[in-house]
Amino acid sequence: MKKWTVGSMVRIIVIIAVIVFLYVMFFAGSRNAIRILLSIALYCTLGQMWNLLSGYAGMTSLGQQIFIGLAGYSVAVCTATYGLPLWLAMIAGAIVCVIAAFLLSYVFSRMSGMYFAIATWVTAEALKILFKSWGFVKMGAGMTIKVSPYPSTAQIYLIAVTVCIVSMFVVYFILNSRVGLSLVAMRDDAGAAASVGVNLFRTKLFCFMLSAGITGVVGGLYYLNQGSIFPDGGFGNSWTIAAVFIVIIGGVGSMTGPVVGAICYVVITEVTVKIENYLNTSLLGVNLIILGAIAIIVILFLPNGIIGTIERKFDFEFIPSKRHAPDIPRNAVTETQKK
Amino acid sequence: MAETVLEFSHVDAGYGRVHILKDLSFHVARGEVLGVIGPNGCGKTTMFNALTGQIIPFHGHIQFMNHDITKISSTKRCRSGIGRTYQIPRPFENMSVYENVLVAAVYGAGLSEKKAAPLCKESLEITGLYSKANTRSGSLTLLDRKRLEIARALGTNPKLLLLDEVAAGLTDIEIQDIMQLVTTLKAEGHTIIWIEHIIETMVHCTDRLMCMSDGHELIVGNPQEVISSKPVEEIYLGTEEDESA
Repeated sequence: MKKWTVGSMVRIIVIIAVIVFLYVMFFAGSRNAIRILLSIALYCTLGQMWNLLSGYAGMTSLGQQIFIGLAGYSVAVCTATYGLPLWLAMIAGAIVCVIAAFLLSYVFSRMSGMYFAIATWVTAEALKILFKSWGFVKMGAGMTIKVSPYPSTAQIYLIAVTVCIVSMFVVYFILNSRVGLSLVAMRDDAGAAASVGVNLFRTKLFCFMLSAGITGVVGGLYYLNQGSIFPDGGFGNSWTIAAVFIVIIGGVGSMTGPVVGAICYVVITEVTVKIENYLNTSLLGVNLIILGAIAIIVILFLPNGIIGTIERKFDFEFIPSKRHAPDIPRNAVTETQKK
Repeated sequence: MAETVLEFSHVDAGYGRVHILKDLSFHVARGEVLGVIGPNGCGKTTMFNALTGQIIPFHGHIQFMNHDITKISSTKRCRSGIGRTYQIPRPFENMSVYENVLVAAVYGAGLSEKKAAPLCKESLEITGLYSKANTRSGSLTLLDRKRLEIARALGTNPKLLLLDEVAAGLTDIEIQDIMQLVTTLKAEGHTIIWIEHIIETMVHCTDRLMCMSDGHELIVGNPQEVISSKPVEEIYLGTEEDESA
């Protein structure tokens, strides 16, 4: 039986307020505000999916751009080459990603840790080279997404925000289901998890396919907003850098972490662009230096990320997914841990 | 005679090309505690690995509850009722003690989270961990980690419980705690295989004792008799005519 505590009331009010704010911005926001919020929504979804894979399931992927690129190109090919409607192209992009994840997982699931990370990265690089030399996708010249009428940034924003919210609910329900229970167990000790009956392969497959599909939707929306896609961008490792940064800054293994991380990431990127404009010169790569420096500082001083540190310090979760033993007071936790 | 729960017949197993278990045969009857001793490297833990499916035997058969389990996956073996503890405790460190056992109860025993709660509570109470149920398992002491290993194995609702050196590395007083715990488990009707080097625990808490040597069962029988038997003495203390060894 769940009891309505003050904490859960506040939580729900805050969540509803944020959701309402995001949708109100569709009508009331300036072009610039919507553009920034669109970025945050996309990067937040990207971060959530990377967090599910790496933070919860222990599968540290360095190849999330596989799905960004595949989905981006799917949207471009479906609309420009075959003239399909946009919604169909978006769905096709996600399906391509899920199928790709399904096929790749037969190889990837045999690897863990560093090997998995390297395999995902190499696959992304291989795809980049393939798309650069594949005539069907116009090689390195890139492809343009052709739909008419072309959706406005605000309309794309509306979809992106919805995807972001839905993906967070999906992660929430997974974490609070039996699958979620096995995910953390698997990350902590896969062998021990298998010996208490967790089916490692099926759990990993599920997470990998889910994260591929939703990451694909992010890729589709991003390139829909951009208008065109190139192999270097679509399969570029800046996507993984962004995902890792967002999750590390926010907090690995916390649902609120990627939200905070995505806000930091987009704000930092925006600020560096502002500075560049002000100085009227191109500070090529300076934003990467700033991001790197911030990541190092956070890893050194807040190894659990901003949100992770707060949650550990106060033994509290913004979005709860931990189970508690019945009839043992929660306070007992901090009491025994203090000893 | 009580029903046979587990039967190893002529099992050969090992890692890669290294043979560890050589023609190992033994059985366990329902409700008994079988102690396993033997020098380091004689294949005690390998026997557990073969039993839980971490490795698949080269030859021979393993029968559990009248089913041949020689080739099925460790997940399925766990679900069919084999619960194990690890020699070096392997808790899910970022989960609470309760969540550790909950994973076992949900996946090993196949219960829903709600229905698993009483089983988790029972497993934690019998091992004396219930008051620490909401503690992060990574912060437990060695004794509590060993207890958690047992609680987690119990959480899978096992028909056969495998204890791998649960008393190793503990102080004398803590060993008494563990012995008390095993006695309680036995009284509750659990069937147990217990690997341990501490002779005292083996003599007092087991029904039968098996001494392994070089991947093979050397002698199985009454604990007191096994300990004082000639072959066991020879293994641990060496033979008088050493040059023949």
